[in-house]
Formats: sequence, structure tokens, C-alpha cells
Amino acid sequence: MLSSIRPKKRVVFFYLLIPVLIYVFSVFVPLATAFYYSFFNWKGGPNKTFNGLENYITLIKDINFWSAFGHNIYLVIACIIGQIGLAFIFVLMINSRYTKLKGIHRTFGFFPSTIAAVSIGFIWSMIYDYKRGLLNWLLDLIGKGDSAKVWLNEPKLVMLLIAIPLIWQFIGYYMVIILSAISSIDQEIFEVSEIDGANAFQRAIYIVLPLIKNTLLVCVTLCIAGNMKAFDHIYVMTSGGPGRSSMVMALYGYKVSFGQQNMGYGSAISIGIFVLSLIVILGSQKLITYFSKDKEVA
Amino acid sequence: MKRKLLSLVLCVTLVASMAVGCGKKNNNSATKDTNSTETATNETKTDDTKETDDTTTDTTTTDTSSSELAYKGTINIMHFSTSEEAQGNGGSDGFRTMNQQWADAHKDIKLEQNVLANDEYKSKIATLAGANDLPDVFLLQGMNTKAWADQGLILDMTDIINTSPYAAQYDLSKFYPFQYDGKTYGLPALCEGSCAIVAYDSELWKAAGFDAFPTTWDEIVSAKAFFDDKKVTEVAFGNRDKWNMNSCFLSTVGDRFTGSDWYHSIIEKTGAKFTDQAFVDSLKFTQEIFQAGVFNKDFNAITNEDAREYYIDGSAAAVIGGNWDISYIGATLKESDPELYARTKFAVIPQPAGASGSTNTHNTGMGYAVAINAKVADDPDKLAACIDLAYKLTGSDFSTYVAENYALSALTKVDSVDMSKFDQFTTDFYNFYQNPGCEIYDSFLTGAVWDVLNTDLQTMVNGEIDPETVAANAQKAYEENY
Repeated sequence: MLSSIRPKKRVVFFYLLIPVLIYVFSVFVPLATAFYYSFFNWKGGPNKTFNGLENYITLIKDINFWSAFGHNIYLVIACIIGQIGLAFIFVLMINSRYTKLKGIHRTFGFFPSTIAAVSIGFIWSMIYDYKRGLLNWLLDLIGKGDSAKVWLNEPKLVMLLIAIPLIWQFIGYYMVIILSAISSIDQEIFEVSEIDGANAFQRAIYIVLPLIKNTLLVCVTLCIAGNMKAFDHIYVMTSGGPGRSSMVMALYGYKVSFGQQNMGYGSAISIGIFVLSLIVILGSQKLITYFSKDKEVA
Repeated sequence: MKRKLLSLVLCVTLVASMAVGCGKKNNNSATKDTNSTETATNETKTDDTKETDDTTTDTTTTDTSSSELAYKGTINIMHFSTSEEAQGNGGSDGFRTMNQQWADAHKDIKLEQNVLANDEYKSKIATLAGANDLPDVFLLQGMNTKAWADQGLILDMTDIINTSPYAAQYDLSKFYPFQYDGKTYGLPALCEGSCAIVAYDSELWKAAGFDAFPTTWDEIVSAKAFFDDKKVTEVAFGNRDKWNMNSCFLSTVGDRFTGSDWYHSIIEKTGAKFTDQAFVDSLKFTQEIFQAGVFNKDFNAITNEDAREYYIDGSAAAVIGGNWDISYIGATLKESDPELYARTKFAVIPQPAGASGSTNTHNTGMGYAVAINAKVADDPDKLAACIDLAYKLTGSDFSTYVAENYALSALTKVDSVDMSKFDQFTTDFYNFYQNPGCEIYDSFLTGAVWDVLNTDLQTMVNGEIDPETVAANAQKAYEENY
């Protein structure tokens, strides 16, 4: 029965060929060429000289790169807590039987993730603007005008301030994923737990969380991958500034490659981003698996 | 069966189109033959005979390029004179007009223009240079000359310049940023510009007790209380994009401390260092004055476009910017606030206390030049057409156009400009250029030095790093990359 409707192998092959080719050209070829160029002293143009591992030695000693890596890790942690954590809470609230107009909540929650990152950057730049910004206007309105700041020129605050638009943008995205995971849980489990006297908090921690653990793991992986390559809205809002206070790895790689026209070292930075992202993603997965196993045994 | 065939055909077409798209790039990346330059130059020399002098308004007709060129294909040109940029900006308007006139005079040559805003242009042209895929004709920024010449990306235009129909009229000092190793790689384009002009509301400063804009920063600081009372920012400045503090402030202030010889020595690598005391003093002054409260608080978070809006809407009594900002301010105020337009005057950046290298200077020059991709030399006919276009964009047609319509000067000298038809704003702006000039720092060296210095400057004015460290980092980048 199944074999009669299954398409022939060559049809499957042709259908797959196009996305595979696009994937190869847009991911593997650039990665492989970046790896190749990372062994050269190359300032752009046709002339380049092989310099072995020199770019990687520079990369290891480059405090600007490691500071940018630190900022990426900050973003990852802020976004795991902010995006997935808040999304989880919002989903539980939306799923509550007391909530009205669930569809509207879902739609408006998801809406920001459909906006381009550059537009998000502009919108939040306007919110943070010193003279005409919403934030300072609000502070002024509640009589806290003295607390008004040039927000994006505060080196100690700027990472948090650029994390907020990212969190805001993607809460809805994770809400949709978590919502679909929760809706697949058998309703009877909730009903039984309610009869047993479990409150909403206990249901969330002891029933929902363990049952959607794998989905959350996917969310965490997506969140890490997304934030390790953060670029667009930071470029628009601060260009990595003030100074290098909001510099992330991708932006640093871009500035080295095109601002400083140091393509060889820029390629080494790209490979560095790739390797570090893999380590962080795999490391976090191992960590989560380790802790969840531990809990199960206990 | 038909459906299968159709899907197969569609798949093959899609894959084939991808393959073609990917392989299209380097269709003429064969060997470079720089010897063909000379032949082509000789061909274009014949174009100069029909030059006309009656170029008066934007309906200017030209004969310079009307002679037949052998080339009948496509020429790609990339520049940043967008239609928005051309509003009130003589250089951009003139550049666009010359492009259009040349295209109209050569209907059988397809002139493909790729026009981007300046910031995007700089990123894209650097990317294309990295990929060895520059357009046929483009605008070369002075600081890229050495690196791109070393890579063989840009055509040596020395002979083309020497044999130009306008050679006798060229202002030779303008070629300096585009010269390397005894060769010249571009024809300086657009207009002579200043990067550090103070535009100020003369009435407001008069009320503060100054008949003209203060000549020292101490006076500016002393006027702070007056402007604070009025809730008006004394001087607006925007440095979000980081290059502004270098181009529009430090280039001039640095010259005031070090004198011009110091920077020439940096360019020619004859011993000067960024760590020299005079330059460090200029950094110290920069840090102090930006922390003195005379600028808008958000100078590090806004762009130069925002800063000039502060002046336009009356929330700042003065603004420091480049000639592109002044053009915009003029064009906007003329329409929206003719009174402020009439009150607006110009001044050089005031003298810092303790600076003895120079006085009254402003960093000026021509930051970009029309350059030709070295690969074009493979096709002598195409090269002849590109040279013809380059002459048109920088020759006497262009200079006459910008002189007569905007009172601006360019590479090719114009005998005299009738100033009687211009209003006070334009006349004052014209007179501003009588002040002594100094070099624009980032027209020279390399982006690798400026990226480091500009980033550190932004941190420094926030008080997060000291001027000595900024100077040491710049010196390190200079030694490693230049």
C-alpha cells in the first residue's frame, strides 16, 4: 500500500537536489573557503601569502575577539532566560482556562518575530533615544527625569539594552513551539493532577516541564545558535559601540574583514565563531542531558 | 508522463540557472596587461578638441564626449551620489549630471550605474575589492590607494592624467591622496570639501556676547551657562558611526597641535609616531572638551545626520560637520526656516588652549577619485571609453557646473566665479574655504589604522580609556598595517 504511493527514488533525489545544492553553496562552500583563506595573510584582492597558523595564534591572543565572545555568551544567557523562560510562562498563562481571546494573544505574541531585525533595531533605537525617546519621556512623565540617560552610550548597560529587543522579538517564536508541545500533552494528566490538588506552579514544574523537555532542548539549541550569530540589530543600534562595549563576534569579524580589509584574519574569525558555536551548543546539550539524567536517577 | 517531463525540465533549468549565476562573475578575470593603457590613452586624446565654455546651468550641453568611441558594450560605474544626496549638494548633483550627459552622448554604450548611500558604498566597494571584482569605474577613497595598488586592482592613471585635455587646468595638490610609489591612481572627483566646518546661529551667539563665533574653546566653555539657561545645546555633534570624531574633529584639532609636517611624516613614514607628545596632547584635549558639557550629551549615540537636525530644529546653537552636512542644512533651512538660513554663518573649529602647531586650519581636500579597474586595460576600446567618462566626470564641464551653480571648486580650475548671483549663505560658505587647509587623516594610511583609532576615540571620550593608550594602539595598528 505504502510503496504504491511512495515516489520513485529519482524523483525524491531531484526534489532534494535543489535545497541540498542551495545549502552546499550557501553554507559549506563559504565555510570551506573561509577555512582555506584563514591560513593566508590576505588583505583582499588577488595577492595573498600563506602564513600557516599565524591568524589562529593572533585569534587566541586577541582580547577584542574574546570580549566579543563574552558578549555573545551574555546574549545567549539573557535570551535563554528571557526568550524561552518568558515564552514558557506566557504559554502557561495563555493555556489557562481563565484567559480570554487566546487567538489574539498568540497572534500578537508572534507578531514581532515577523519583523526584520534591522527594523527592530530602528524601533528600539527610537525608544532609547536621549532627546525624543519613549523611555526618557516615560521617566520624565513619572517624575524621574533625572534618571534619563543616553542609554546606548552606557558601556555597562548597553548589552542588556540590546538584549531586550532580541528577547522581545523572539518570545512569540518560542511560544509557538512550546505551545504545540504542550498541546500534545494528554489533558487527562492535568485533570487528574488538579483532582489530586496540584496548583498551577506544581503542574508547570512537575508535569509540563518534564513532558516537554525535548522540545525545550530544541529551543535552547535554536536560541544559542541564533545568538552566537547575532549581528543585524546590533549593527543598526550601536555598531558595537560605545567603543567595543556591544561588539559581538559576527560584527567583529565583519569589521576586521571589511572595515580593516583584513580578509585572511577575518576568515580565521569566522572559523573561530563556527568552532565556538559548536562547542557551546554541544556543551550545553551534554550539560542538560547530564543534569536531567541525574534527576531521573534520583 | 508529461508532468514528469515538465518537472524534470524545471529542475534542470533551475539547477542550470544557479550554475550560470555562480559562474558568471569572472568572465574577464584573465591576465592584466597594463601596457595597453598607453594605446588607449592616445585614442582618447583626440576627444578634447570640441570643449565648450558656455556651460552655465543644469541644462549644460557638452561636446567633450560627443566624439565616437569604438567601444559598444556596457560600462559599470559605482558611486554614492544618490538622488537624495544630490539635494543641495553641488558635488553629487554635478556628478549625476555629468554621468547623465555622458550616457546621453554615447547612446550605444550602456552605462550601468550602481548608486549606494556613502556608508553602504564604502562597505560594498571594499567587499568587491576583496573579491577582485571591482566595477569598471568607481570612486577610490584615498586611504585605499596603497593597498589596492599593491594588489594590482586599480589602474595606474599617471599617463592618462598627464595627457588629459584638462592637464594644464588640474589643481595638482588634489592628487596627493591618490599617489603611491610615484604613480597616480585616480582623478580626484566631486568637489573640494571640508570635513570640519562650524555652522552657527549668529544671532544666538551674539546674544551670548560673541559678534562672531568664538575663536578659542575657553570662550565656548565660558558661554555654557548662557546656553544652559536657554536649554539650547552649544555645539551639536554626532559620532555614533565612529568615523566622525576622526574626520570632523581630530583631523583639524590634531593639526592645531602637531602642525602639518607631523602628518606628512606619518604618511611618508619618515619618523613621526602617533605616540608623539603633540598628538597625545590633541587626544587629551579631545577627551576633555567632549566631557566639558559643551556638546550634546548623546554625541556618541547619534549620527551626524541627527546632529545637523538638532541645529535645524533650533535645539543647538552650532553644529560641527562636513561640507555634506552644510549642503543639507542649507537646502533644508532655505525651505523650512529662511530666517535661520539667513542667520547661519560659518567658522573654523576654535583654537584649543596650548595648541601651537597651526591656527585657523580646517581639514580639506578631495577624498575620492574616479579610478578604473585594472582589468579594463585588457580591452583597449573599453578602456578608452572609461577614460573618456573619467575625464567627463572630473573635467571642466563638471568644474564649471559646480562653480556656476554652487560656487564650489573641483579638480579642474575655473577662471573666475561670478559671486554676485549667490545669496549670503553660499557666499559665506565660499569664503570659508579661504581659511588654511590641512590633511584629512583618513584620506591616507589604511582602514586598519582608522578602525582601531576611531573605536578607541569613542571609548576615550566616555572616559573609559586614556589618551596615551589610544595613541599606543593606533601606533601599533600603524606599524602592523602600513
